[in-house]
Amino acid sequence: MKKTGLIVNPIAGMGGSVGLKGTDGKTYNKALELGAKPTTPKSIDDTLALITRKDLYFVVAPGKMGEDFVRKFDFQYEVVSKIGEETNADDTKRIVGEMIEKGITLLVFVGGDGTARDIYDVLGLTIPVVGIPSGVKMFSPVFALSTAAAAEIINNESGQFIEKEVLDIDEQAFREGKLGAKLYGYLKVPKNVNLLQGKKEPSNVSKPEELSKEEIAQYVLEKMEPDTLYILGPGTTLSTIAQKMNVSKTLLGIDAVVNGRLVGADLNEKGLLELIKKYDKTKIILTPIGGNGFIFGRASKQFTPEVLKLIPKENIIVVATEDKISRLECLRVDTGNTEVDENLKGPVKVITGIKTETIIEVK
Amino acid sequence: MTANLHMNENPYLPDEKIRRAAARGLENLNRYSEWKYLIELKTLLGEYNHVSSERIVLSHGSDMLLREVINIFSGNRKIIMVSPSFFPVAHYALKQASRLTKIQISPSDFRLNPQLLLNELDEPALIIIDNPNNPTGKILLENGFAEKILQNKNALLLVDEAYFEFSGRTFAGMIDKYPNLAVARTMDKAFSLAGLRLGYLIMGDYFKDHFSDFPAYLATPTLFAAIEALRNTESMMANVDKIGREKARMEIELSKAGIHVFQSSTNFILIKTKIPDFAKKLKEEGVVIKDMSGEWLAGYYRISVGLPEENNVLLSLVKKLIN
Repeated sequence: MKKTGLIVNPIAGMGGSVGLKGTDGKTYNKALELGAKPTTPKSIDDTLALITRKDLYFVVAPGKMGEDFVRKFDFQYEVVSKIGEETNADDTKRIVGEMIEKGITLLVFVGGDGTARDIYDVLGLTIPVVGIPSGVKMFSPVFALSTAAAAEIINNESGQFIEKEVLDIDEQAFREGKLGAKLYGYLKVPKNVNLLQGKKEPSNVSKPEELSKEEIAQYVLEKMEPDTLYILGPGTTLSTIAQKMNVSKTLLGIDAVVNGRLVGADLNEKGLLELIKKYDKTKIILTPIGGNGFIFGRASKQFTPEVLKLIPKENIIVVATEDKISRLECLRVDTGNTEVDENLKGPVKVITGIKTETIIEVK
Repeated sequence: MTANLHMNENPYLPDEKIRRAAARGLENLNRYSEWKYLIELKTLLGEYNHVSSERIVLSHGSDMLLREVINIFSGNRKIIMVSPSFFPVAHYALKQASRLTKIQISPSDFRLNPQLLLNELDEPALIIIDNPNNPTGKILLENGFAEKILQNKNALLLVDEAYFEFSGRTFAGMIDKYPNLAVARTMDKAFSLAGLRLGYLIMGDYFKDHFSDFPAYLATPTLFAAIEALRNTESMMANVDKIGREKARMEIELSKAGIHVFQSSTNFILIKTKIPDFAKKLKEEGVVIKDMSGEWLAGYYRISVGLPEENNVLLSLVKKLIN
């Protein structure tokens, strides 16, 4: 049997129906005051009703966080942990931890971006997940396209996985109509790319994600110049470049290499400034955040205006897979310094493969 | 009622005479089509486009010709395309090109900055532009811009004018002047012959030299229907006119309903909405539209203009979803 964790955020999505963008923090109580009703029961019921696999053994959270839904169906399951009347992020994290101890090899979760972040905090890239969309904000591309797509992913899970971004949306800014997304981490998801949000290109015509990253890495390596400081931004595309160089890179941090050798790991602004001053020439290689296209000002706050003022625009190399770039309206910058932002704006060539590039506006 | 509004098809059947001509083409199915009919079709297409019939090459579907152009010319040239553009050709270019540069056009004006493209012409290049663009419906190429491209010795320009009859904009008139120009057309859309697949390429001299041995056999029903359709284009033009009026009505009604509608020069409309699962909800009610999140941006949908009654169903469903 395949031990599969199931956890439901019972309050995810409640803000949407009453015009609130999320249920983080105090907004949950406000949503209740406005008459918000839970939306997760329908999402999880719809998905469970479409699961046809007979080899699943569910390890579920208690009551409204899982058990109440599974027991309506003909699944084998056991319940872990306990919860009170009101639930919060700590419950999610604690229960996922207990599920890991029970030996789950897949975690199905229902919620939005906030739930994905809680799960990432505990799981990291250890166990794959299937995200059933039910939140108000689901900008993270870890979610299935729909409840039916989630069921299909579970039914056809083949053991192949890819890493997708977990985003941290600034809820206050989002409520004010601004999109402020930071890269929070990565979760491992089954490789049914056409069923994930923002990942639906038919596989027979698109370039596989991993091949695209390999090509980008090969291109970048071929073009690397000696005695030049290369600062590598966060993300799995940059990790692939580092792997090709046999350099150990931090996934979410900013690292630096010279002549194929790591000279700085998980650098902050001070570390970056010191290194830049040491070398005659510096180049930054980075990839935009999927979904919103930020290259500076979100995923990598370490690239401060002071750092960016020292790097000529032509020495900023943007890389992205074909799939990611084709789904962006534009690239974005928001460093907090208007002058620096203005200098970065305009068309930029993004390396998308060994022989392909896309010219796109930075706004 | 079901309505398929996702393939940019013409909702009107071709005239009865054309359907009968296609049926006549079934009478000798054991035989290849006769050469004289190919010549007749090319002659009629030449007259229709005011070009010499020698400049025309035929195929089942203009996408086959676009692919052939990529096969022939991309070996030692980079391909320059707009993104997004007609997806099957864009995917083929990605597979076949020795080098590919895409220029992204962005909402809300989807404008192609001429200078970005002209900057790329410092080496041999094959430029493929769908004009109007699919899926945005926008005219990307104006005469002055096209001439600047064509005057560059490094450039071969292929303009896909699949929606010419709806846009009224063509570069076919420049074909004698510029050997490095080709224009792709189809009878699938305005002529209502999608089920028979007739595409053609109008070629400048440079393209023509490379297409001399291109196989030209077509299915006889396709040939007969296309010949009949070109003998009298009035019914086609009447349908184009009806579609144009319906498009204008839909644009107004969708806008009134609060949907963001982008100006289109084709028989389809690009819209943007935040209604969750918009296409899925319409499909549940029998109306199929194209959800662009599959290959492009989330929240964008392409809707073909259908019959008035189909459009009415769509509009009432949209109003219901919004309320």
